[in-house]
Amino acid sequence: MASRRRMLLKVIILGDSGVGKTSLMNQYVNKKFSNQYKATIGADFLTKEVQIDDRLFTLQIWDTAGQERFQSLGVAFYRGADCCVLVYDVNVMKSFDNLNNWREEFLVQASPSDPENFPFIVLGNKIDIDGGNSRVVSEKKVKAWCASKGNIPYFETSAKEGFNVEAAFQCIAKNALKNEPEEDIYLPDTIDVAGRATQQQSSGCEC
Amino acid sequence: MLPDTEDEEKWLAEGIAGVQHNAFYMHRALDSNDLKDVLRYSVQMLSELRTSLLSPHKYYELYMRAFDELRKVEMFFREEISRGNISVMELYELVQHAGNILPRLYLLCTVGSVYIKSKEAPAKDVLKDLVEMCLGIQHSVHGLFLRSYLCQISRDKLPDIGSEYEGDAETVNDAIEFVLQNFTEMNKLWVRMQHQTAALVSHAGIIVILKLLGDLVLRLEFELSGLQGLTREKDKREKERSQLRDLIGKNLHILSQIEGVDLDVYKETVLPRVLEQVVNCKDDVAQHYLMDCIIQVFPDEYHLQTLETLLSAFPQLQPSVDIKTVLSQLMDRLSNYATSSTEVLPEFLQVEAFGKLSNAIGKVIEAQAYMPIVGAITLYVSLLTFTLRVHPDRLDYVDQVLGACVKKFPGKAKLEDSKATKQIVALMSAPLEKYNDIVTALKLPNYPHVMDHLDNGTKKVMAVVIIQSIMKNTTCISTADKVEALFELIKGLMKDVDETQDDEIDEEDFKEEQNSVARLIHMLHNDDPEEMLKIIYTVRKYIVLGGPKRLPFTVPSLMFSALKLVRQLQGQDGEAVGEQVSATPKKIFQILHQTIEDLLSVSSPELALRLYLQCAEAANDCDLEPIAYEFFTQAFVLYEEEVADSKAQVTAIHLITGTLQRMNIFGVENRDTLTHKATGYSAKLLKKPDQCRAVYACSHLFWVDDQDGVKDGERVLLCLKRALRIANAAQQMANATRGSGDPVMLFIEILNKYLYFFEKGNPQITSSILQGLIELIKTETQSDTSSDPSADSFFASTLRYIEFQKQKGGATGEKYEPIKT
Repeated sequence: MASRRRMLLKVIILGDSGVGKTSLMNQYVNKKFSNQYKATIGADFLTKEVQIDDRLFTLQIWDTAGQERFQSLGVAFYRGADCCVLVYDVNVMKSFDNLNNWREEFLVQASPSDPENFPFIVLGNKIDIDGGNSRVVSEKKVKAWCASKGNIPYFETSAKEGFNVEAAFQCIAKNALKNEPEEDIYLPDTIDVAGRATQQQSSGCEC
Repeated sequence: MLPDTEDEEKWLAEGIAGVQHNAFYMHRALDSNDLKDVLRYSVQMLSELRTSLLSPHKYYELYMRAFDELRKVEMFFREEISRGNISVMELYELVQHAGNILPRLYLLCTVGSVYIKSKEAPAKDVLKDLVEMCLGIQHSVHGLFLRSYLCQISRDKLPDIGSEYEGDAETVNDAIEFVLQNFTEMNKLWVRMQHQTAALVSHAGIIVILKLLGDLVLRLEFELSGLQGLTREKDKREKERSQLRDLIGKNLHILSQIEGVDLDVYKETVLPRVLEQVVNCKDDVAQHYLMDCIIQVFPDEYHLQTLETLLSAFPQLQPSVDIKTVLSQLMDRLSNYATSSTEVLPEFLQVEAFGKLSNAIGKVIEAQAYMPIVGAITLYVSLLTFTLRVHPDRLDYVDQVLGACVKKFPGKAKLEDSKATKQIVALMSAPLEKYNDIVTALKLPNYPHVMDHLDNGTKKVMAVVIIQSIMKNTTCISTADKVEALFELIKGLMKDVDETQDDEIDEEDFKEEQNSVARLIHMLHNDDPEEMLKIIYTVRKYIVLGGPKRLPFTVPSLMFSALKLVRQLQGQDGEAVGEQVSATPKKIFQILHQTIEDLLSVSSPELALRLYLQCAEAANDCDLEPIAYEFFTQAFVLYEEEVADSKAQVTAIHLITGTLQRMNIFGVENRDTLTHKATGYSAKLLKKPDQCRAVYACSHLFWVDDQDGVKDGERVLLCLKRALRIANAAQQMANATRGSGDPVMLFIEILNKYLYFFEKGNPQITSSILQGLIELIKTETQSDTSSDPSADSFFASTLRYIEFQKQKGGATGEKYEPIKT
């Protein structure tokens, strides 16, 4: 049972609207990229098989809406995440400044048992734009922030060119695996469940 | 009727407990590969989703728990099949034996996912089956979540282009068809919610019904009108619907992610089908949200190429839909797109984006007869923003937008709605910000028409915005015509409005406004004297209308602007060139003379006096003696007749003396008259110390330190002696009254004047006179009981100066040598 559960690794991608969350996921899973901006509605995931130390895992990658108005149902899907990926656009300072909010929001909403050691990963995306000339967030600045938050691993990526995407997700998968399973141990009150089960089935209509 | 949050938390906790409990046994069954028990417990687990007690938010939490568990079931199914224990088709049949439809369909979708992945049946058939089976759930919340589950598990199994599920018999069209169908059904469920009042109370809610009955009794007791309850019920439903919206919107997101949805497919199939659903559902919440979604999830390029289709939907929406926000977002996106790269701009021209948007806005406003005026204006602001960003060179477009907006205003009436006026300010500010140049805005014929519809207060605000724009960009307004147009635009600041004068006007605000007008006048300039003169005429025409409160602010600016022109023309004599030339200093002085008289008519004598002196000095520089003399005469007349306050007199006389000292064109006679007057007035000031200081200042009138300056040593001495006498008198008065006056200071000041002229070589001032004065001051300071530290230090430094000059040696040292300090 434990092995089956550990075969699935749940990863949540967060970040401001337009930083390239969907593109990173599409590049990693489908090796595809589109320059067009398309907003994400709600939460959406894709899966991909990964091999870590000769073992196969399924990575469940949740792409989220960066625009708050497309997150109407809340963030119940954060629950049980094994790793949280924080994405910003190296060409937009605000998207970096907001990483803190995203991180805090995640910790509050997902309430992992050990928030200090919960695995985060930071991706600075769109390094390809204008040959890096329009970049406004320096590597030093990001690394300082990552260090201050418990040495979060940092990758610079280009979803467009596929640069560093594979490496970043390898790291994401490894860190997700390191995360201690969160699943609360459930112990039933009584071993006999037949009573309850029949009760359940007898009540109510067909829908 | 509303379950309070405490109850809801309890129900959610019970639901979660139910899921966990069954999941526990399900896990054991998974571990022992017991398919029967896996199905049994998963059905029981999924039965928790049959609750109707939870709000969508809470239901989502429960759903996510079950969702996570189903991933394990799905993995197990795959393993079972690969182990050969059961075929996927058999499994697909088997799960349909579940008793309750909701658990059954969740399991069916889960198997369906495995089925498609196994490729034992075409994806399109499985998907079609599933999407139709889901019709069995007509409970809105249950149905929406079930379908979003279907949406999620099929997400990576659509027969998209390049996907492993694409085949000869199944194409991207099947994928699109599937998502569209699911979308349509979900939207129906969602829209229907608003008509379901009792939907909340379903089978699982017997307890609720009982509770409701109890509530009802209470309510009848306390609340005779149930209306409040109905509204609350409606609000709650709206809130629940709003929470659910992303489940429906997600279908559009998936459509946008399908590789095969290229521009053609989007244009031919996706957009028309989606719009059809949006328009036909006739539900304002759904329409607003879905239009927003369409705009956000599909690429800009698609919008641009299907603009007509997209825009044609807007006039068909319900009147209560907030179209302006949605349309503004579309225009925002498009204008961002236009500025993203120069390559896309031709596309905008090619599809005539401006014309289409403009047309659509017109139609929307027409269709929505009850749209408040602010809504219409907001739309035009967005269109204008779009135009300025996409077609900055098309002033005709900009004007067209303004013109269309003007047409929407009701008659000649002023707008009363404060939100609407705010939008107008935004509308009028946009071109200023874009072009950084009022001159461009002045070229727009409709610009002033928009202004006409503002109330007086807002007109002023707008006028200030215009002036600030000019100042910020140091825009030069260079012709009289433009000046005229500009003043017409800002006339709210230039004169009192005809209506009853508002007493509420804040003094500070008024000053600020008029100061800005004064600053503006300096921005009206042309290097050509003829045109500049015309500008001055125009400015004068407007500012004389300003009334007593404004003239003191505006006249000085006009004066100095005109004097600047005078300086430019200096040396050119009008008479020599002939009468045809109007821009002559003489001519300008005439205008100035009149303008100062205007100022006088509103009783600002002190300001007028200063301006006369400025003009006199300028006339002096132009070698126009009679004119300079005339200005001086006017200044003196003013002094005599209008300046009564003794403090003002002191200031005025010093100004007069100072100016007169610099005048060099007066003949002996004129000069004598004027200096005589100045000294006379000086000696007649009220306070002795004032007299003294004014008189010793007059000494400079007789000794101008220029090459050809007057050098009348005798009269200098006369002045200084007279000052000394007055100082003496002042001292006696002070002694008599033990007043606070400080005559010693006066003596030291006079000593310094003596020193000045001594140094300048006035033969009348000798070292012995200086010596005498020094002795006098020394005696005075010693006898004075209440010594004044500032006088002491002034005297000390004066003496130090003399010592310093002695030590210089040479001629200077020799000259100072006899003086003993």
